[in-house]
Amino acid sequence: MGFEEVEHTADHAMRIFGENLKELFVSAAEGMSSLMVADMSGIAGEIDKTIELEAIDPESLLVEWLSELAYWAEAEMLIFKTFRIKHLTDNHLVASVTGGKMPALEKLIKAVTYHNLKIKKNQQGLEVTIVFDV
Amino acid sequence: MVQKHDFKQLDAHLFEVPATFREDMRVPARFYADAELLKGIITDNSLQQLINTATLPGVVKYALAMPDIHQGYGFPIGGVVATALPDGVISPGGVGYDINCGVRLLATHLNHEEISPFVDDLASVLYTNCPSGVGKGGHIKLKGRELDQVLSQGARWAVKKGFGSEADLECTEESGCLDGANPEKVSPRAKDRGQKQVGTLGAGNHFIELDIVETVLEPGIAQRIGLQEGQIAVQIHCGSRGLGHQVCGDYVKRFQKSISRYGLNLPDRELVCAPLSSPEGQDYLAAMKAAANYAFANRQVLTFHIRRSFEQVLAGRVSNHHVFQIYDIAHNMAKIETHQIDGKNVQLCVHRKGATRAFGPGSPELPSVYRDIGQPVLVPGSMGTASWVLVGTRESMTQTFGSTCHGAGRTMSRKKARKAIRGVTLREELEGRGIHILAGSMPGLAEEAPAAYKDVDRVVEVVHTAGIAKKVARLKPIAVIKG
Repeated sequence: MGFEEVEHTADHAMRIFGENLKELFVSAAEGMSSLMVADMSGIAGEIDKTIELEAIDPESLLVEWLSELAYWAEAEMLIFKTFRIKHLTDNHLVASVTGGKMPALEKLIKAVTYHNLKIKKNQQGLEVTIVFDV
Repeated sequence: MVQKHDFKQLDAHLFEVPATFREDMRVPARFYADAELLKGIITDNSLQQLINTATLPGVVKYALAMPDIHQGYGFPIGGVVATALPDGVISPGGVGYDINCGVRLLATHLNHEEISPFVDDLASVLYTNCPSGVGKGGHIKLKGRELDQVLSQGARWAVKKGFGSEADLECTEESGCLDGANPEKVSPRAKDRGQKQVGTLGAGNHFIELDIVETVLEPGIAQRIGLQEGQIAVQIHCGSRGLGHQVCGDYVKRFQKSISRYGLNLPDRELVCAPLSSPEGQDYLAAMKAAANYAFANRQVLTFHIRRSFEQVLAGRVSNHHVFQIYDIAHNMAKIETHQIDGKNVQLCVHRKGATRAFGPGSPELPSVYRDIGQPVLVPGSMGTASWVLVGTRESMTQTFGSTCHGAGRTMSRKKARKAIRGVTLREELEGRGIHILAGSMPGLAEEAPAAYKDVDRVVEVVHTAGIAKKVARLKPIAVIKG
């Protein structure tokens, strides 16, 4: 599992990898947090939240998941670093996340887009490329 | 990737991908460029994205892109797509997440010599008074249902509250308020995000800039607008902040669910849309207008903060520190407009995503002060280069649904820019050229480096030569405030 930044002229794009859907969702969340905070070790782990979401398909659920995390970053400067997916189907997610408030963020994620969004199978498991509006 | 042989040249600066290029295209895809800009345009997915927009149901004449076109998500940045009412579609992705991102140009009666002893102080006070950066709230705390008034009334709300004048409203696109905005169509979460952000700049490519009017090319028009060589001006570039981002996201999500009901088959999920006549289409339009009004109010409150900064630093030190408004324009918006198609007046929904309305002389939508000269068009360049003031033309009405470019347009990815340029070094270099920089994030500054953008003079030359806007004045920066 993991993530890497890929070239995009205007915004930020990331390729995300995971052996399964759970790992893919965790990697995507970690990747997005790394865009907002350069040094993840500086994030305190004193705030826990439970997140429950529904969507029409796995791609929409992924957008919902990341949008929820981006919302907390903007609203309360709250960045999460630990992501425990408790339940995940193609349409439903329950997760518990832990993080802390930051004094400043490197970047604002305006939105998580659906641009060419498709979760694909590869030899190791799954991958997806996500474009973030920044 | 679209190749050179896939499109034909129609004019010196106009190219067309014919509708036969792909089976799902309903109209041709046209774009403006010169030889140099064309080299960049064909290296990323800009044209693929433009071609995708030519498949939207109800699209009329052609999908268009301005010479500042670059790869976005869904629509390309620089895209203009008009769909016919009642059953053509409206696409939230065709407006973008930053609904009514736009530019306001203010001017002063000061010249560079008068202001130069105070530029450092003024930049610092502007940075303090105009909240910027990620997560920064504003000085205004809206009470009760006051946010609904902002969403319904736009800049009019701000003027009623004492943050500006009727003269500001007259020189704002749509007088700073789109009719038909409905706060009830804006989600509680969007409202929550908007509650504390009225009068804030945000981050990314948003800025406040002090400029000098360096060159005037049309003295008569410049004088009418209120510009002259050597004068100090101020630009604001920002939009509807978190509220607008949430409105777009909410409707992109809702439209994903309704798309099969309307039998829409799209090449990219970000192009998701709904017929304008549908409940979903009508709801989005009403919510988008509310977010657009929020952005007009946001720029109006920032104008107030800029005026009080000038007062704070310059009162008693210069002859006249009054700051007046030249114009305020949106460059991320969908608007219901009447245009001539084959000699008939037709109602269209014109999506402009990173493109500026550029209505020509005589357009009834323009304020009386500008009706005979055409609408002022504000084209901010990259930080440290130049910005332009143009006016709309009669040709823009016939060629581009009254639209033109919105900026320089990116050419280098943010990733490359961060690798190639250090923010601190860039700031030193710009300071060496007499441009004072105040920025919240050095990596963020590097991403917005002039080298990451196209040459704005070249972009403007293309729209000027193509006749879809006319050059009036060139501005150069002396101080830039960024989040």
